[in-house]
Amino acid sequence: MQEAGVLDEAMVIGSWCIYFYRDYFAETDYTSSIRTRDIDFLLPRHLKFKGEIDLAELFKDLGFVIDFSPKGAFRLVHPELIIDFLVPERGEGDDNPYPLPQLGLNAQKLRFLEILLENPMKIEVDDFTLTLPHPAAFALQKLIISWRRPKEEKKLKERQEGIRILNLLVTKGETNSIINIFDSFPRNWKMSIVRALEASDAMDLFKILSQDK
Amino acid sequence: MKVIRGVLSEELQNSLQMRKRYRQALENLPRGSLVEKNIRGRKYYYLAFRENEKVRFVYKGKLSEVELKRYREAQKMRAKYRKLYRQVNQQIIFLKKVLRGKTV
Repeated sequence: MQEAGVLDEAMVIGSWCIYFYRDYFAETDYTSSIRTRDIDFLLPRHLKFKGEIDLAELFKDLGFVIDFSPKGAFRLVHPELIIDFLVPERGEGDDNPYPLPQLGLNAQKLRFLEILLENPMKIEVDDFTLTLPHPAAFALQKLIISWRRPKEEKKLKERQEGIRILNLLVTKGETNSIINIFDSFPRNWKMSIVRALEASDAMDLFKILSQDK
Repeated sequence: MKVIRGVLSEELQNSLQMRKRYRQALENLPRGSLVEKNIRGRKYYYLAFRENEKVRFVYKGKLSEVELKRYREAQKMRAKYRKLYRQVNQQIIFLKKVLRGKTV
């Protein structure tokens, strides 16, 4: 994907961020939590990438096969890795996947992903440059989307991960980065975050973010 | 514990779906493998495949480079998919065992 130029525009999101943040939080007592096989690549709706590639064909030689979500979004699957492609949802939203013909795939649309795209961070991993969301954006987005999880254990997992990352940022002395990103959000997003912290009994973080709001 | 069980349960669903996809990928490949025979200095090809208990050989004659490449590619992918299918199967067995296990 790097050679084809696609990696420049793709952002790694989801549970693999927790793995890649280990160097960022090196001076804290950071440990990676459960990481699934799913690696999510977030793409902008309008790619700067010029040209066309068939991602499925690119990955076929590595043993990946194509699968589809129930709503028709494309995923590449392998016993060791499952690759999903996502774009931010806009407007009222619908159940249809978002076509990215330049890459020969349909991506899944989800809300609140623009929070991540608007707060990027680059890291070097072996010979690759990966784009991740800033940990503050990652954590705050988790708290917002936790309310949309129907299953209790998923809600809990989102909040636990978000709170853990926020606490690590505070330990690292980056409280201001949390506040700056939080302050850029609309009021209803802020309320979701604050309520999630309150529901999780994360009172130190609750106090930091609920001051003068 | 609930979070971990939830994650493992989802991984099991992923693996079950994946196994289905590998099965389909294997079924979609052209059948059989090429056997090359050298007769009086010329190469002739037979397609060998299993039908019920027997191995059958179907004469394909002289094949173009394009056709040869197609069969060899299919043979390579079949071997790859079979290996990965076995790997997914092992994952399913493991995950089912873990999810059946009692919580202490």
